[in-house]
Amino acid sequence: MDPSNAIAGMDLSKLSDRDKQELQQFVMNESQKARIQASVHSLTDTCFRKCIPAGGIKSPKLDKYEEPCMRQCVDRFLDANFVVLKELERMRG
Amino acid sequence: MDSIGAQGMSAFSDPKVQVMRTVQQEAAMQNARMLVEKLNEHCFERCVPKPGTSLSKGEEGCFTHCMEKYMSAWNTVSKQYVARITKESQQGTGVGASF
Repeated sequence: MDPSNAIAGMDLSKLSDRDKQELQQFVMNESQKARIQASVHSLTDTCFRKCIPAGGIKSPKLDKYEEPCMRQCVDRFLDANFVVLKELERMRG
Repeated sequence: MDSIGAQGMSAFSDPKVQVMRTVQQEAAMQNARMLVEKLNEHCFERCVPKPGTSLSKGEEGCFTHCMEKYMSAWNTVSKQYVARITKESQQGTGVGASF
């Protein structure tokens, strides 16, 4: 089912202004959640490559090296991102 | 039972609730689709280095392990990332705001 069609097919003319405002806020919150989830997907992709040794997967659990590696990978990625932003800021100013 | 049914019906006919539900369902679908895509990509790479005439028992076992591990990794990343951006946005260092 195409969701945009599903919404287009609904009668939204009866919505009160308050409902419309509430919906707008709701959609904004959902968009932010979606953006965060997209970042989590991309970070998991990057960090899985770095932290889980190449080759077959022997255990279904993250072991005592892999788990901290994943967490550090997230933090260092964000640190690095911050360095880039700071540097860009410096170049601009 | 009756009251639950009545509530369900009124929520179903309320266009606002309907829109919210559709948006949420679509977001959940998109998230699941992305997870499956990435999981397949990684696990196929690792578990089936040389595709044979059929999926071997070993490859299948590797896939189940890999799936579970990838999902744990996703949850770990999610927790860490959310904790970090929450911290940054509270401190107002600007990093949180950029995501």
